[in-house]
Amino acid sequence: MALKKWLDKLALLDLFDGLGVTGRHLFKKKLTIQYPEQKKLPSDRFRGMFRLDEERCIKCTLCAIECPINIIYIDWHNEKNPEGKSVKVLDRFDVDLKRCMFCQLCEEACPTNPKSIWLTTKTYEMAAYDRNDSLYLDIRKLTDWRAAPNVKPFTVVEQG
Amino acid sequence: MKVLTPTVLTYVKVVLLVAVVPAIIGFIIVLAERRLMGFMQVRLGPNRVGPKGLLQGVADLVKLVTKEDITPARAERAVYFLAPVLSVIPALTALAVIPFGPAIRIGKVKTPLWVTDVNIGLLFLLAITSIGVYGIILGGWASNNKYSLLGGLRSAAQLVSYEVPMGLALVSVLLMTRSLSMVEIVQRQERLHLWFVFPGLLAFFLYFVSGVAETNRNPFDLPEAESELVSGFNTEYSGIKFAFFFLGEYAAMIVISCVAVTVFLGGWLPPFPHVAAFKFLGVIPPFGWFLIKTGLFLFCYIWFRSTFPRYRFDQLMALGWKWMIPIALANIVIVALAILATPGRSNGLFVLSYVFGALFILMFLLAKLRQKLTRRERLAAVPASASETS
Amino acid sequence: MSDDRPLTEAEKAQAAKAAEDLKAAALAAAESVPVSVHPPTLFEVQEMELNFGPQHPSTHGVLRLVIRVDGERILETKPDVGYLHRGTEKLFETETYPMGIPHTDRLDYVAAATNNHAYCLTIEKLLGVEIPRRAQLIRIILDELQRLSSHLVWLGTSGIDLGAVTPFWYAFREREQILDFFEEYCGARLTLNCMRIGGLPFDLTPGWVERLIEFVDDLPSRIDDYEQLLTENRIWKKRTVGVGVISGEECIEWGVTGPVLRGSGVEWDLRRAQPYECYEELDFAIPTRVNGDTYDRYIVRVQEMRQSARIIKQCIDRLEPGEIRGKVPRVIKPPVEETYASIESPKGELGFYCVSNGTNRPYRMHVRPPSFINLQALPRLAKGHLVSDLVALIGTIDIVLGEVDR
Repeated sequence: MALKKWLDKLALLDLFDGLGVTGRHLFKKKLTIQYPEQKKLPSDRFRGMFRLDEERCIKCTLCAIECPINIIYIDWHNEKNPEGKSVKVLDRFDVDLKRCMFCQLCEEACPTNPKSIWLTTKTYEMAAYDRNDSLYLDIRKLTDWRAAPNVKPFTVVEQG
Repeated sequence: MKVLTPTVLTYVKVVLLVAVVPAIIGFIIVLAERRLMGFMQVRLGPNRVGPKGLLQGVADLVKLVTKEDITPARAERAVYFLAPVLSVIPALTALAVIPFGPAIRIGKVKTPLWVTDVNIGLLFLLAITSIGVYGIILGGWASNNKYSLLGGLRSAAQLVSYEVPMGLALVSVLLMTRSLSMVEIVQRQERLHLWFVFPGLLAFFLYFVSGVAETNRNPFDLPEAESELVSGFNTEYSGIKFAFFFLGEYAAMIVISCVAVTVFLGGWLPPFPHVAAFKFLGVIPPFGWFLIKTGLFLFCYIWFRSTFPRYRFDQLMALGWKWMIPIALANIVIVALAILATPGRSNGLFVLSYVFGALFILMFLLAKLRQKLTRRERLAAVPASASETS
Repeated sequence: MSDDRPLTEAEKAQAAKAAEDLKAAALAAAESVPVSVHPPTLFEVQEMELNFGPQHPSTHGVLRLVIRVDGERILETKPDVGYLHRGTEKLFETETYPMGIPHTDRLDYVAAATNNHAYCLTIEKLLGVEIPRRAQLIRIILDELQRLSSHLVWLGTSGIDLGAVTPFWYAFREREQILDFFEEYCGARLTLNCMRIGGLPFDLTPGWVERLIEFVDDLPSRIDDYEQLLTENRIWKKRTVGVGVISGEECIEWGVTGPVLRGSGVEWDLRRAQPYECYEELDFAIPTRVNGDTYDRYIVRVQEMRQSARIIKQCIDRLEPGEIRGKVPRVIKPPVEETYASIESPKGELGFYCVSNGTNRPYRMHVRPPSFINLQALPRLAKGHLVSDLVALIGTIDIVLGEVDR
């Protein structure tokens, strides 16, 4: 009814309601996670930094074929191992991290079980001051992160 | 001591009350605004600089002072330099007539806690805060930027428009005090055992809303909002000049809060000073009560900022001219009638307070009741097939 | 005339005069008043052409609007798009079908799951693949979560544009929880890559459904909070009621879909009109309002958030163990055909038109972006309003530049 709506407007009810909402939230628990002292724990499927296991890799190059941006560069050649069989040997396995979009299609394409290349490492701190050196991962850096100083493996701190 | 002559004492009080106290409160406001807004937005505000972020004001000051001081190429140099100054000085000067507390005694020195008590205190305050408008107009014009000019003009129009309801609201209080002197206003509230907020409830609302509009704060901050096309009068200012505009806005907020406290909330008086049950409140000194009440108003400023959207400029002006001025005039008539009804005594004011108080509480409760009863029918946007929400 | 003999005196004088004329003309042009033909009289206001963006806090991305204003009234608006163009449709042609899914994430980056869904639906339509029921239900859950997330972003940014700074933080608190759900499901928060041709890449993790039920039960009270701050607020109403009115017929003429269409009185929602997945068995309402102004579109979106919560609950109730991926060949080579499939994304009708030529790469993949087509209506909406309203209008049609420009 018109009179009752007029009453709402006169009593400034809508404004006081709004003030009530913000006032109530003043006393609620705050949600800030104070990085870097506190960090959020990424989930198990979180797509982070790459890791490669050279032994498991069968050099099928399916990951390079499936990559939507073609940033995986693989070179291999055949060699005769001590038993006389012809095996593939990796010359180059590079991932250009600058352009990667972390879509995980390479990991999905990998036919080995467990996967030879995987992103579920929970590591996302890979910031660097120079682009070309630190953000281009060759096989050394992919297999052993100690060779890539800008990658900080995720450690559990006080959880936010 | 012989050296502390009244003149020297006045100078000391000027430095303390007009410069040091606003500076300290300014530092606190800078931090409190960001922290409190953060808390209301379910996040922590700045808490890195100093323990719990207490040195944030210092960090802001250092940042602004060390920034490059740019003057646009074809700006009017003298006016460009003068505008921030004209914004700050009137606001700080206004603090000279505000009574922060009654007489105190330190050692052998007895002095009241105000710089001076002019007997036209309120009028002086209104006049001095009007000079602050010059700072905005000149700042917008001297920047040689057509958007700043438009922003400055809009801001000035807003300030000038809202001075009228502010003044009219204070006029209704004048009828109750019969004196323009700020100290006399507080003392009359003490004698009457009645804070003027009760008979002047309407005037109080009008004054505070006009005060928010006077300082260009949300919900009236269109002239200086970042998401609008016209970016406001302080676009071309950087460094210490911008710091002065910033400080001027906060100083104006402090002045308006202090005046509201003095005129409506009884200045330095603790609540119920003559009731024996509340004597324990006397443990906080009068200056402390003044600060607490001013803090309450400043908290309201911050509360408004984090809650309300902003008015469009034409709606803002319509609100000021079409609604607030008629209500202010009606308020003067009502208060005058209440005083005339009981000439010579003050019962009229008490009756008016009860009437206003009852009316407001009743209206509020009725509206809340109506809201609870119509909860299900409101916002009927969905067809009848799905009327519950989860 | 290119002979190298030195200039005569007359020619030199002529060249000097020509240079002087040119300089005078340039000076006159620089100091003359733009647009107006005659110098303004005292009470005449000139028209100005202003640039709104591409760098502006409120244009929700890199959108440039050239507006012609008369004082403060807008006479004409010309959107100038293309600042975020990345050649997505061409990229689709150079990659195989499964490789295109991460690129669709970046179209409407605020609502990535619906983009993936539309793309996958189109290719599944070409292949004639049947999707198992569990995959359908989980797809609907992801879609509706994404709708919630997108509307929460809209609510927050719309509020900030009009001065209300707190709903943003409250909305993002809810959105943070939704993004956590997505992260737990597929590993990423924003560019999800969460659907594959034929179904889904992963099954749900243990505990995901229980936490989702808790979240969805909590949601109506949170939406009540936003509504308490905005819906009845007189300042909000003053800024939004009557601003940007467009009628239902005009919406249909312009091809505008989504909450804009439903706010103007046309009850058209692809989830009801052309159901996909298993929407036909779910019970939800289509919020519709009749006035077609910004306030109505706000109400429609808020009600849609509530309905999304309902849909998610119903889907969870119907979940049963099963397959999550249909029978799809290893190399996807659809027959030589062209098809169009569309879904109801948070912004409107999002469709993919695919022309395949029998190989494993599409011949042409065209996106029907709802934001781009809704943006066409902006000049019509903005005509006659003030410049301050333009910000509200850009917010109300809810555009995402990734979709507008692709």
